[in-house]
Amino acid sequence: MSKFISKDELAFWLDGLMKDRQLIAPVIVDDQTVFKPIMNVDEIVFDYKNTVLSAKEWFFPTTEPLFTICHKDGSTDLAPIDIEKESVVFGIRPCDAAGLKLLDKVFLGEPPDFIYSQRRDKTTLIGLTCLEPAPQCFCGSMGTTPNNADDVDIMLTEVEDGYIVSTVTEKGKALLSDVKLSDSEKSWQEAKCPTELQVKEVPEAMKNCFEDNYWTRVSDRCIHCNICAYVCPVCHCFDIRDCPTSEETERIRCWDSCQSPGFTRAAGGHTPRPTKGSRLRQRFYHKLLYFPERFGDLQCTGCGRCVLSCPVNIDIREIIMDVPKLGAESGAKA
Amino acid sequence: MEQKPNPFMPHMATIKSVTDLTPDVKLFNTELDDPAAQSGFNYQPGQFAFLSAYGIGEAPFCLTSAAHRKSGIEFAIRAVGTVTNALHELEEGAKVGIRGPFGNSFPMDEYKGKNIIIIGGGIGMAPLHPVINTIIDCRDDYGNLLIMNGARTPQDLVFKDEFDVWAKAPNTKVELTVDRGDDDWKGRVALIPDVVVDLNPSPEKAIAIICGPPIMIHFTLIKLKDLGFANDQIVTTLEGKMKCGLGKCGRCNVGEKYICVDGPVFTFEQISQFIEQF
Repeated sequence: MSKFISKDELAFWLDGLMKDRQLIAPVIVDDQTVFKPIMNVDEIVFDYKNTVLSAKEWFFPTTEPLFTICHKDGSTDLAPIDIEKESVVFGIRPCDAAGLKLLDKVFLGEPPDFIYSQRRDKTTLIGLTCLEPAPQCFCGSMGTTPNNADDVDIMLTEVEDGYIVSTVTEKGKALLSDVKLSDSEKSWQEAKCPTELQVKEVPEAMKNCFEDNYWTRVSDRCIHCNICAYVCPVCHCFDIRDCPTSEETERIRCWDSCQSPGFTRAAGGHTPRPTKGSRLRQRFYHKLLYFPERFGDLQCTGCGRCVLSCPVNIDIREIIMDVPKLGAESGAKA
Repeated sequence: MEQKPNPFMPHMATIKSVTDLTPDVKLFNTELDDPAAQSGFNYQPGQFAFLSAYGIGEAPFCLTSAAHRKSGIEFAIRAVGTVTNALHELEEGAKVGIRGPFGNSFPMDEYKGKNIIIIGGGIGMAPLHPVINTIIDCRDDYGNLLIMNGARTPQDLVFKDEFDVWAKAPNTKVELTVDRGDDDWKGRVALIPDVVVDLNPSPEKAIAIICGPPIMIHFTLIKLKDLGFANDQIVTTLEGKMKCGLGKCGRCNVGEKYICVDGPVFTFEQISQFIEQF
């Protein structure tokens, strides 16, 4: 027997949550589905494939202040930033929730990232099962599924007239404490996401093709637009800068990408990755070798956004398929 | 719940003095404003910290001072980019931010009893400076100390005031060289790798610690290996563009290693195992 909430009851519950929390949900802006803080439950889109950007930006925003430097009467003081408001992210897909779990490994590792960890603590995740994966989706190959509830607090699955509710964590239970869920026998057709990519041997294969000309060949068409990093739910590289106004300076951090030529260029001009090939190689080695070596998981959840967004069709699925062949070739040569 | 500190917030600090080491290198002596933070700011030779020029930004620099001397937190900084040029504008009394210390360090205890060869080129002497002064202050703990310091011109040699002090210590030699001499220069005019060959240090019970421009390291390494030094007897400190020092900003990796948390000090044995070579 599962628990059920009708569409009307769901809207009423979400409306109530907005009283003392920020509710972030998928909405349509300029024909694109994106996560935004909402004012009205009617704004929420329920039948989307996936959002243009992942929910990452609500934990690790595109740009955010780390603290403020105040200059007043000849003295300099630092003012901290605190995240006070509780939030709910509604409608996160399992791939993006899995992405947050991978981001946790970076940002909550010692020493924990102060701002990210506050946002994680104060946010409850309500997941939404994918009933029909998009053509670019491959979460099934990356260790998750369209209805995986492991990384959210509450999981909802749409059925006729409402949603099946799975309460996953204590945090989720607390959020649902005032809601009367009914028992339901309703079932749904479980979606299948492609599982044919063979990823298990990829990190080991990556070790054998670092010097392969393949990376230069693939990078020839890269225009280092950085979109792959920005749409990725797991890419975490950032820049830190001072943004001064007359009385204060915000020390901000913002998203950055290893595909940008300036990413590793030091003062004086020395740059350890001067070619597109070396930068593209860095992206895929980070995802498919360095991250697994450090944290035990591939740094990809199969959301397919980079596949969809890349203007020159660089496709991580192809790379995952090619790498074992390259490794075998250079292994044979050695 | 216990509130963890924000690891991006620097300690407020004050510049106690600024000394010109060369026409483009200044030595900044600083102190943290909070006395408890200052006395808790312990670090080892080879570690680094971020120094903030408020309103401009922050950048990582090796700690040039030896902590045991308790003579302030020092940075030797060449004016070469946005933050370093802004720091060079600052004078005694100015407020700066210090975040750190970060990274691993030279394993000074492991070096005890060994002959130490220090090879520094230009501002590459900065991270070697606390190594030298640690050895000088505990001279009996270590074997012979050979310091080779090279620079483009005589006026580009850093820590000139200390050469005599170092040279007078027992079993210690200071060998200077420049790429181009001037009218007053009586010393060597030679490149560091050639000086290494000329001085012919023995690899027996020895550790060579080397820091300088990549091209100098490249050729010096070849010469040291010719002399019989093994990869695990040659140590360096790497640098890379960094923003956080915490292994999070994703910028300073060489292959699978982050310079900020796994380094910056590596033996060439370790470096030779990296999948990526700079």
